[in-house]
Amino acid sequence: MLRPLLLLALCSASTLVLSAPPDDSTLRSLADEPYWHSLGHYESGKLGGWRSYVDDDDFFLADGGEHDPAAELAATLAALYAPASAGDRHPQCVFPARTRWLRERLSLTDLPTVECKEFRTWYADVAPHSTVLVFPAAYLNSPSSMFGHTLLRIDQADIDTQGSPLLSSALNFGAYIEGMDNSVLYAWKGLMGGYPGLFSLLPYREKIGEYSRLENRDLWEYRLNLTPDETGRMLEHVWELKQIRFDYFFFDENCSYRLLELLEVARPGLKLTEQFPLTAIPADTVRAVIDAGLVADIDYRPSRERELLARTAPLESEELRWVRQLADDPQQLERDDFQALPSERRALIQDGAYRLVRYRVTGEERDPANAAHSYRLLQAINRNPPPRLSVERPVLPENGHESRTLQFGVGSRDERAFAEYGLRMAYHDLIDNLEGFPLGAQIEIAQLRLRQYEGNHWKLQRLDLAGIRSLTPLTPLLRPWSWQIAAGLERIAEGDGDDRLVGHLNGGGGFTWQLHEDLLGFAMATARLEHHPEFGAVISPAAGFDSGLLWRNGAGNLLLEARGDYFHNGEVRRRISLAQQFEVRDTAGLRVGLERSFSHRAEPETEFQVQLRWYFY
Amino acid sequence: MKRILLASLLLSASASAFATAPGGPGCGWGNMLFEGQRGLPSHLVASTTNGTSGNATFGMTSGTNGCSTDGALQYNGKSMIVLGSIMTELSEDMAMGEGEALTTYAVVLGIKPEDRAHFASVTQAHFDEIFSSADVTAEQVHAATLAVLKQDARLAQYAEQA
Repeated sequence: MLRPLLLLALCSASTLVLSAPPDDSTLRSLADEPYWHSLGHYESGKLGGWRSYVDDDDFFLADGGEHDPAAELAATLAALYAPASAGDRHPQCVFPARTRWLRERLSLTDLPTVECKEFRTWYADVAPHSTVLVFPAAYLNSPSSMFGHTLLRIDQADIDTQGSPLLSSALNFGAYIEGMDNSVLYAWKGLMGGYPGLFSLLPYREKIGEYSRLENRDLWEYRLNLTPDETGRMLEHVWELKQIRFDYFFFDENCSYRLLELLEVARPGLKLTEQFPLTAIPADTVRAVIDAGLVADIDYRPSRERELLARTAPLESEELRWVRQLADDPQQLERDDFQALPSERRALIQDGAYRLVRYRVTGEERDPANAAHSYRLLQAINRNPPPRLSVERPVLPENGHESRTLQFGVGSRDERAFAEYGLRMAYHDLIDNLEGFPLGAQIEIAQLRLRQYEGNHWKLQRLDLAGIRSLTPLTPLLRPWSWQIAAGLERIAEGDGDDRLVGHLNGGGGFTWQLHEDLLGFAMATARLEHHPEFGAVISPAAGFDSGLLWRNGAGNLLLEARGDYFHNGEVRRRISLAQQFEVRDTAGLRVGLERSFSHRAEPETEFQVQLRWYFY
Repeated sequence: MKRILLASLLLSASASAFATAPGGPGCGWGNMLFEGQRGLPSHLVASTTNGTSGNATFGMTSGTNGCSTDGALQYNGKSMIVLGSIMTELSEDMAMGEGEALTTYAVVLGIKPEDRAHFASVTQAHFDEIFSSADVTAEQVHAATLAVLKQDARLAQYAEQA
């Protein structure tokens, strides 16, 4: 309160002696310009008026500036005339992007000259020249990564000839985590906006380590055609966001949305954010950036795990045995029967073993024994280096289907015909159109299905909060777990054609086998908690199994699955189902499903359904 | 405002307390080969928050590695920070004679593009000297690199200017 007033007083005094201030109507029309709204991160409020996404008083010079772009503009203009003695605290130094824009738009020739040493040092250090949008792809064994994340890489000039991406900066927007909550609370608070969001700028090499090593995610790097001026303008604005708190919500006000805002600051006139009023799923925002014609070139950076698998792919099983042995015990390098192998095969085996050793200690503290072991293998690699590793580029992740799904189905359940209407907010299940997704990963959030039986009899068929499945096949070298977890409401047959809506939470763990190139088999032990209105207990636990086959075929994907739940109260429920999705086009699929269910409480029932699935944003 | 002030106060305090190592402790000089990678506790956390380990940092050379950027850092400052953070990748690239980390090292050592292939083959040939054990630190690797460069007619110039 006091500060803006003081500044105003100071400034009106100084403007008197200088040129005439711009009149009110000029300022008001300037404050209506989209670029000013971009700089202030304003959105038009639901009930009219304005609201800024920024949740930090330090960002606003006017009282109530977060609701009033015009007042903020007037206060900023006045503040630019503050005495130059304020140094790095001078509004010109704190808000270089606002300063530049107002100076240009109002032809301000009489602004005091301020040195802004802190800002200039920082800017020279980052040395922005060009911009790359970085999209870490999904990792199969972490389906939540399917939502993805985006960040920007800020390159210096001559990145290809004089520099290296390892010297570039990464501009990241994420929740700011303080203190030591437990993991689940972290995740929950991240979803629900419990943490403030902040921008951070750090060496890109650290982000590579985080994604390609710790999380095993491939990185896609989309080089943008922003000019050096545009990149520089964006970085000036980024400086204004230093230590500034935004609201952070996982689904909408997230990293990807914030980056789109920055691109709008870089290139005035871009309209990216308005396409995402409700959710901003990173892959969708990448598509928007591509559609806006911003992408010049695409680079691919495989994860460490993918490199390990690519390196060992050409090895025979006997050679893979050597890889495991060398990874367990470096003394084996000296064995005569190893040295008797052809040197080019030894080169591949040693490199594979080294990568496996490093892979096994991912995320762990440095261990001297393992370091010595790794070093032994590196020395061997140095004496007999393998050929350069080339990893085949997978399908671009943004070519995957869009994130929301509308479903329309017709079918019958024990002679009763029904129509079914469904909406899923996100994202992908095991047999949805596969391009751009890994086979065996599923993440579904918020799915609603309504059924209309004959006689206009409506029922809520199911309401899923979340359903995550990760079927990661075992390989000769890696033995990942497969797991699943789901929660929501679903309808369970109750005999004489009736059924009940029950609440459930279930999960399972087990293994997946790559039976053939396009065929996975899986088996899991499961546990289930259910609230069933007819059961005596409020919560009834069950143990069970879930196993099946997932086949990627010419028409789409097929899932054959058998499940059983054995309740503590004696109820036994078993289901066997077969579903095939036909990938009709990029935006649609046709699914045919057949399910037979058995229960102690009801006669066996058979359900058949044909369903049209339409992917849209 | 207060936060920034506080941060810079803390920074200068830690720099003066550990004035022995240029750039302060943990700045990269003492980083060892095969150092573990920091990260958030789990995938799930990482994916819902998209936060990073370097959460509130806002610069390239300041903060992220626990380095201060005052005068002491001028000598070999940047190459040391970079080297400290890519030690493992560099050892792999150098063993094999090519790679992004090796190029990066060449860039921070000021090696001209036309000399980089030669730099790669010389350092590959002298891998055992530059990475002389599993427990070398960035400082030792840097010194050993310069020693190797000095032995080479074409690369000696870079050892002197560094």
